[in-house]
Amino acid sequence: MLTEISTQRKTYYEELQDKGYSRRDFLKFCTMIAAYMGLQSSGAAQVAEALKTKPRVPVIWLHFQECTCCSESFIRSSHPIVADIILDKLSLDYTETLMAAAGHQAEEAMQKTMKDHYGEYVLCVEGSVPAGADGVYCMIGGKSSMDILHEAAAGAKAVICWGSCASNGCVQAAKPNPTKATPIHKIIKGKPIIKVPGCPPIGEVMAGVLVHILTFDTLPALDGIGRPKAFYSKRVHDSCYRRPYYDAGMFVETFDDENAKRGYCLYKVGCKGPSTYNACGIIKWNNGTSYPIQSGHGCFGCSEESFWDNGPIYERMVNAGGFGIEQNADKVGMVALGVTAAGIAAHAVATNLRKHKVVDELIAEGKQSEHELKKD
Amino acid sequence: MARIVVDPITRIEGHLRIEAEINNGKIEEAYSSGTMVRLIEEILRGRDPRDAWAFVGRVCGVCTTVHSLASIRAVEDALKIVVPPNAELVRNLMFCAQNIHDHVVHFYHLHALDWVDVVSALKADPKKTSEIAQSISHWPKSSPGYFSDLQKRLTKFVESGQLGIFANGYWGHPAYKLPAEINLIGVAHYLEALEWQKEIVKVHTIFGGKKPHPNFLVGGMACSISLDDSSGINAERLAYVHQLLKQAKEFVEQVYIPDLLAIAPYYLDWGAIGGGLGNYLVYGDLSTSSYTDTQNYKFPAGAILNKDLSKIHEVDLRNDSEVQEFIPHSWYEYAGGDGVGLHPWKGETKLNYTGPKPPFDHLNVEEKYSFLKTPRWKGNAMEVGPLARVLVGYASGREDFKEVVDSTLSKLNVPATALFSTLGRTAARGLETILVSQWALEFYDQLIGNIKSGDTRMANMEKFKPETWPASAMGVGHTEAPRGALAHWIDIEDQKIKNYQLVVPSTWNASPRDLEGKPSAYESALKDTPIADINKPVEILRTIHSFDPCLACAVH
Amino acid sequence: MNSTTVSSKPQLLRRVFVWELPVRYYHWLNAGCILVLIATGLIIGDPPAIMTSKEAHSSYWFGTTRFIHFVAAYIFLFNFLFRIYWGFVGNKYASWKNFIPTNRQYFKDMWNILKSDIFMTKGYNVHTIGHNRLAGFIYFMTFIAFGIQCLTGFGLYSAMSDWWLPNLFSWVPYLLGGDFMVRTIHHWATWFFILFTVVHVYLVFYHDYVEGHGEISSMGGGWKFIEEEIFKRKKKIKNSNL
Ligand code: HEM
Ligand code: HEM
Ligand code: NFV
Ligand code: SF4
Ligand code: SF4
Ligand code: F3S
Ligand SMILES: [Mg+2]
Repeated sequence: MLTEISTQRKTYYEELQDKGYSRRDFLKFCTMIAAYMGLQSSGAAQVAEALKTKPRVPVIWLHFQECTCCSESFIRSSHPIVADIILDKLSLDYTETLMAAAGHQAEEAMQKTMKDHYGEYVLCVEGSVPAGADGVYCMIGGKSSMDILHEAAAGAKAVICWGSCASNGCVQAAKPNPTKATPIHKIIKGKPIIKVPGCPPIGEVMAGVLVHILTFDTLPALDGIGRPKAFYSKRVHDSCYRRPYYDAGMFVETFDDENAKRGYCLYKVGCKGPSTYNACGIIKWNNGTSYPIQSGHGCFGCSEESFWDNGPIYERMVNAGGFGIEQNADKVGMVALGVTAAGIAAHAVATNLRKHKVVDELIAEGKQSEHELKKD
Repeated sequence: MARIVVDPITRIEGHLRIEAEINNGKIEEAYSSGTMVRLIEEILRGRDPRDAWAFVGRVCGVCTTVHSLASIRAVEDALKIVVPPNAELVRNLMFCAQNIHDHVVHFYHLHALDWVDVVSALKADPKKTSEIAQSISHWPKSSPGYFSDLQKRLTKFVESGQLGIFANGYWGHPAYKLPAEINLIGVAHYLEALEWQKEIVKVHTIFGGKKPHPNFLVGGMACSISLDDSSGINAERLAYVHQLLKQAKEFVEQVYIPDLLAIAPYYLDWGAIGGGLGNYLVYGDLSTSSYTDTQNYKFPAGAILNKDLSKIHEVDLRNDSEVQEFIPHSWYEYAGGDGVGLHPWKGETKLNYTGPKPPFDHLNVEEKYSFLKTPRWKGNAMEVGPLARVLVGYASGREDFKEVVDSTLSKLNVPATALFSTLGRTAARGLETILVSQWALEFYDQLIGNIKSGDTRMANMEKFKPETWPASAMGVGHTEAPRGALAHWIDIEDQKIKNYQLVVPSTWNASPRDLEGKPSAYESALKDTPIADINKPVEILRTIHSFDPCLACAVH
Repeated sequence: MNSTTVSSKPQLLRRVFVWELPVRYYHWLNAGCILVLIATGLIIGDPPAIMTSKEAHSSYWFGTTRFIHFVAAYIFLFNFLFRIYWGFVGNKYASWKNFIPTNRQYFKDMWNILKSDIFMTKGYNVHTIGHNRLAGFIYFMTFIAFGIQCLTGFGLYSAMSDWWLPNLFSWVPYLLGGDFMVRTIHHWATWFFILFTVVHVYLVFYHDYVEGHGEISSMGGGWKFIEEEIFKRKKKIKNSNL
């Protein structure tokens, strides 16, 4: 699979050999490059060395309907730090947020990678693609993001969907999704797709996914919906340090109450940890500094599908659409129960009115038997 | 005459396209277009106002926190919720951390490559570099060995033939003026800043649980103070914050500002380019008492018109004839037609794309050409951002502002008018970072003092339950985002959001023309900019980057 | 009022063995589990505020509540599976054919029962020995609800367990787009059980009262008492499992 990126790809030296150049030609070429770059004579040897080593895996990182917090989160990774990733581990050939080139030069850089490394580069996507109105809701360089995605995915070895935007549409796909924001897996078929949901995902998780690919030469194992098991197989709730309070039934009733100060479980103020798969409680955020629950706020499920429409943040139950903010299953249920009870009462009364003949006959029949018993 | 297009503008947040008419080596007219929309204002309709901070927080992951802050303030304003002082101070600390982080990252990772030639750094003499570095600051990482190791690493990188994010830059362009040694310092600090920036944000992680997108709470903050418990904010957490704030101040004073002052002298001509509008708008923020106490703002509010620093105009966000949004060149429609301006409480956001069908070469700038609306203050196009804040602070006669501004002007030996420029904008960002990193420590001390005096409240939950709310309520919340004045307007009806409107700093700056054809800040600042090589318009990047564009913010 | 064959003259009643012992066991185990699952489920959904100064390690009431829910859930599942099995091997009153509408007469009968029993308007009385058509159909709906509750319940539970059985259900959250939706369905469905229980218990009493066939005690001893006349009429209809 992915492995082959780094093992099968030829070095520049090997490529030159294939084209019939001799070792002497190669060394001459290195000296020329070294001179061109203003290096001392020893530079030629370094150049030769570098050109004989394996190339770094090329990466194209596209930006669509996003807030760029995934990029921001990525640069917060502390192990490995991002400088090391982009200088030593991979070749980030296109990312609008950080690349030096702009306009045509940026476009050229992407085209070059797509051509030179066809079938070998990793495509990272941050943001969703608006399918509405022929794609005009996200355009780059005069092209629609839909076209750009198709073009870039064609030669990609694998596609990584950064964040909830690319994995499930995130906030712009929340009802009524006015731009028809669409996650990547609904557009690109027939490629390995890794979803790394979260709004944003944890920086170390993002780096971890890339490093897994580079270190082990394979894609990480994915779960049933395409998330790396390494980071998404456990619920936030399963690794929550407040879990003992949950089991003990000790809950924060409202923010900043005594129970909050004691660090009780946030379940009743809306914590969605029990239905959220993410590594927040284990890896934590920003080099292990804290995570939402540790800082007193419930998890609101930012790595789950359509979490923006999963009801109000500070309540646990989902609302019934059209019933207004206040109505949840229990309130609707109570009303239904009341109506049912009233119906039963009415039915019972009606039974005695309308079926009294039948019942009377049964009673008469019973009395008759009783009477007959006495007679004997 | 040539029409050039720069799209994508990179090293910004979001999708910005600049089209410019070049005549005689200068920009005659420029057009700025935002080409991505999500319509978050519409998505908010009908939702729980207490949740709005989370939705609008996702407007931007670069200036994360500022929209959430404006949002909870708008809701608190509508519902008349009074926030405990500790929560105000924590919010101020998060403001400061955001501001510092955003500005440092902007300077090194988004702006520096417009001035620093990475390839030229390969030719630097490490010993000379070290001498220069030591002459401009006490920063410890400045030995010849440090720079020569770095240079080796860089060389190896360049030799690999895979230039990654540095591929296809305008390297070698005659507009790059720095000596190789300063370029090397720039690259070194590019990498150091990349590592450092992940530290300061931990202030957000401690109080808000994560970064980007920390958690906020209507009524206060969710992080309780628990001095006698391992949960919540205790001495250890506070010491952590203190440490981070001190480190940040150190980095700003020993790395960011010295670099800024080392680079600026080579580009003083940019002190006369890219000035633009000359109108500046600030809503103000960072109070020492309460957000509602506008008199005690560290960033004073006000507007300056036509570069006239002698008069500061008052700004009223509730007055429906002050802030208004227009759409004559925006891909929207208003029920009342394109000829009207709407105050945000009456704002509408209905999409109507009328531009060319992609793929296309040029926009039709005579008609609608952007997803940004066009905000105006009393009909005036305004520039917002660090330069506006520094000018309003300076013009208000505030000592701290005067000190940093005057000392910098004299160091660079330039007149005050140099502030109205691309260079001035970039310098002002640095200067306010110095102030903010100092204020942060003051707020920290205030927080400690408050806790010491026995006040440990962090949230006021009296009006958290929707049952306690009036049938309808309107509110506005503002702040000073890194990129400038930011406000959110909310209209709550039957405990749900009826209308929600954001008017965002980059909307002010990057918007298309208004009804009278008057350009906004970007378009105005680009006018008359010299372009040496129309195939490598690095000059456009310099001026545009000096605003630190954020287009996800601008359109939302 | 509608036609009735019953007169005040004492009827000859025939004793019919309707509910075999396994069905009766199933019924009461099922009823018990459902009551426990409703009670514990609602507590899980919205736990009461119990203020305590105890340490977390010395209390486990919420964990216990959940444990009871899960124990009841397992019993409920196996009991339900057993009932499906019995639908194929039990007597004709227990047969699956009572529940699944197979012909038009089934629907016609249902409509008549609705008219006579529920709305008490005109219509002929459908005399049944086992379930009447409407009851049978509602039980069918109930079995579907059992299925939904087991799928969603074990779907949620699969994340908490390493055992293969719950893990058979781990596809459920994937299908429904995450645990949140699974839980929401599970919670809403609970209200179906509450409403069913209330109506069902009422109707059992109603039938006993109006028909006098010993409906209530039938789930105890298995016997119902049917008029000889009706019994003879039923015998003529071949393959009737009513
Ligand atoms: C009549 C049958 C059942 C009823 C009425 C019922 C009811 C409930 C209710 C009301 C909840 C709370 C939902 C919420 O969080 O809002 C719940 C939770 C749950 N139920 Fe059930 N349930 C039933 C059967 C089952 C079964 C068969 C299972 C299988 C294991 C199951 C497993 C669960 C689980 C795992 C939870 C979540 C508990 C937690 O997160 O700790 N339930 N149930
Ligand atoms: C939680 C409470 C209860 C539940 C969930 C429940 C459920 C059921 C179900 C599923 C059936 C169909 C049986 C089958 O053929 O498999 C049934 C039938 C029956 N149940 Fe219940 N039951 C409950 C309480 C009661 C009570 C309290 C009584 C009587 C005192 C009762 C009496 C009966 C009778 C007589 C039938 C057969 C009725 C008919 O065929 O129309 N049930 N019940
Ligand atoms: N413009 C803008 Fe922001 C900022 N600063 C928001 O208010 O960047 Ni994303
Ligand atoms: S997933 Fe969330 S954090 Fe990432 S770009 Fe989208 S909105 Fe931003
Ligand atoms: S705080 Fe949330 S994740 Fe933690 S135990 Fe409570 S409900 Fe679970
Ligand atoms: S809200 Fe998101 S950051 Fe983690 S704790 Fe919950 S998944
Ligand atoms: Mg707006």
